[in-house]
Amino acid sequence: MSAGFLLIHAKPSRLWSTGLSWFLFVAVIASYLWVSDARHRENPEDRVTPTVAQMGAGMWKAVMEPAEEDEATGEARGWVDRFAHSMLWKDTRATARRFFISLVLLIPAVILGLHMGLFPFAGAFFLRFVLFFDKIVALSLLPILFIAFGIDELSKIMLIVIGVTPTIILDTFNLTKGVPDEQVVKAFTLGAGDFDVAYRVVLKQIAPRVLNSIRLNLKAVMLFLFAGEMIASTDGLAYRIALLRRHMGMDVIIPYVLWVALLLFLVDFGMRMLNRRLHPWFTEA
Amino acid sequence: MALIRIEDVFVAYGTPARAVLAGIDLEIEEGSFVCVLGQTGCGKSTLLRLVLGCEKALRGRVLIDGAEHPQPDRSRGYVPQKYSLFPDKTVLDNITFGPEVSEFGLLTRWTPAYFRRRRQLREEAHDYLKRIGLRESDATKYPHQLSGGMQQRVAIAQALMMRPRILLMDEAFSALDSGTRREMQRLVRQLWADTGTTVLFVTHNIDEALRLGTRVVVLAKESPDAGSRVAMDLAVPDPCEEEQIPLLMRQLEDGVLQAG
Repeated sequence: MSAGFLLIHAKPSRLWSTGLSWFLFVAVIASYLWVSDARHRENPEDRVTPTVAQMGAGMWKAVMEPAEEDEATGEARGWVDRFAHSMLWKDTRATARRFFISLVLLIPAVILGLHMGLFPFAGAFFLRFVLFFDKIVALSLLPILFIAFGIDELSKIMLIVIGVTPTIILDTFNLTKGVPDEQVVKAFTLGAGDFDVAYRVVLKQIAPRVLNSIRLNLKAVMLFLFAGEMIASTDGLAYRIALLRRHMGMDVIIPYVLWVALLLFLVDFGMRMLNRRLHPWFTEA
Repeated sequence: MALIRIEDVFVAYGTPARAVLAGIDLEIEEGSFVCVLGQTGCGKSTLLRLVLGCEKALRGRVLIDGAEHPQPDRSRGYVPQKYSLFPDKTVLDNITFGPEVSEFGLLTRWTPAYFRRRRQLREEAHDYLKRIGLRESDATKYPHQLSGGMQQRVAIAQALMMRPRILLMDEAFSALDSGTRREMQRLVRQLWADTGTTVLFVTHNIDEALRLGTRVVVLAKESPDAGSRVAMDLAVPDPCEEEQIPLLMRQLEDGVLQAG
């Protein structure tokens, strides 16, 4: 290997780039195992860095047994049934439900942004307010939401909507503004009406970018969702993590964190695939 | 009566206002091919946008068939230099988009009549594909898979599907290389002769204006601060022989220079 291997013009072989891309994963896992092993040798009761076996046992319990607050549903009736009543499934379902309801509530935000970008009166009416609304720190509204909507589902979903909606509206607005004028004029000369222009010309061509913008905001959605769940909830993945923190249940917390990351990755990946399938003409992604 | 009448039009931009067009008077007959020629920034595109209905004159008015059209509509086809095709639609869908969207609303788009009409439109679109020199296999391609020249061919077909009385082309071939440009000029001339559409073609290229138009209108400023006026209005013989072009070209160049 020549001395230029760290420079811009370097061309690493396939083997090298694959190897390098996995290196940090291996390094993090190895150093965790090393630290965990060292701490357990010093103090076998250590709870901060559970061993792999402990995490496996903790996860096995989470996957196969109901949560502490639920009564056991009698004896085991097959793997599927046990999983369906398990703590992990219960938490995942609760969180997923809130997550997808919030995603559905983003659709009106896209429509609003589109109209603001295309119809001057709609833009004049909403833009200044949305720009201001965007600057409100959503988490600072949390107490107000709990007082106004109670501590059940509505307040948590409202938190997500208030936190993410302005970003999506403004993003869609900017994307709409970015559509060349020629496209709109051309559509009118082809006999299209205002709503044809909005939905059949402009929305269709910004759709993949809007989807990408929602993908980028998935983390914000999860952030607000977890904040809501940690503070006021009786189920959900973040509720469980917050609950287990009280008795240092790191053997479950660490797998839960990884599980959340995996789920979010899968949703993101699914949306990327969907985007590619729905918009084969889109070349930027 | 002339199809397009531009009456004493005055346009200014910005604050403080800078005149772009100062008192333009033009009459364009039905079936003519008018090239608007001028240097960059002389307001020739503004003139086209006035006819299109995208812009409003400060003074004067633009009449099409005796009426003012304050908005772009289906009576005037439009081929801009860039962004002329819808990137999310295939070539075939781009060509049929006009008739489809103008004849069927959101609800009638699910009726059998729609699917019958669409089949008919697709056949017509295939005919157009052949006429503009694209292959059958190009029908399912997306615009970004075509070269610039091919894209402009499709854009012209897309506009002509509506059978507009007026076709407005804004520097439509300026982004193309000279070989492709020459082919496109021949194609447009042919389509114009076939359809009898009135064409208003904006360009900064003298050679192009002479090869295309039956009439060349030169816009130029009298002084740097003043708005443009019609500096020259030249009828081009039809058909224009190759050896006449240098002479006409010199005439036009002189006209532009004197005005500038």
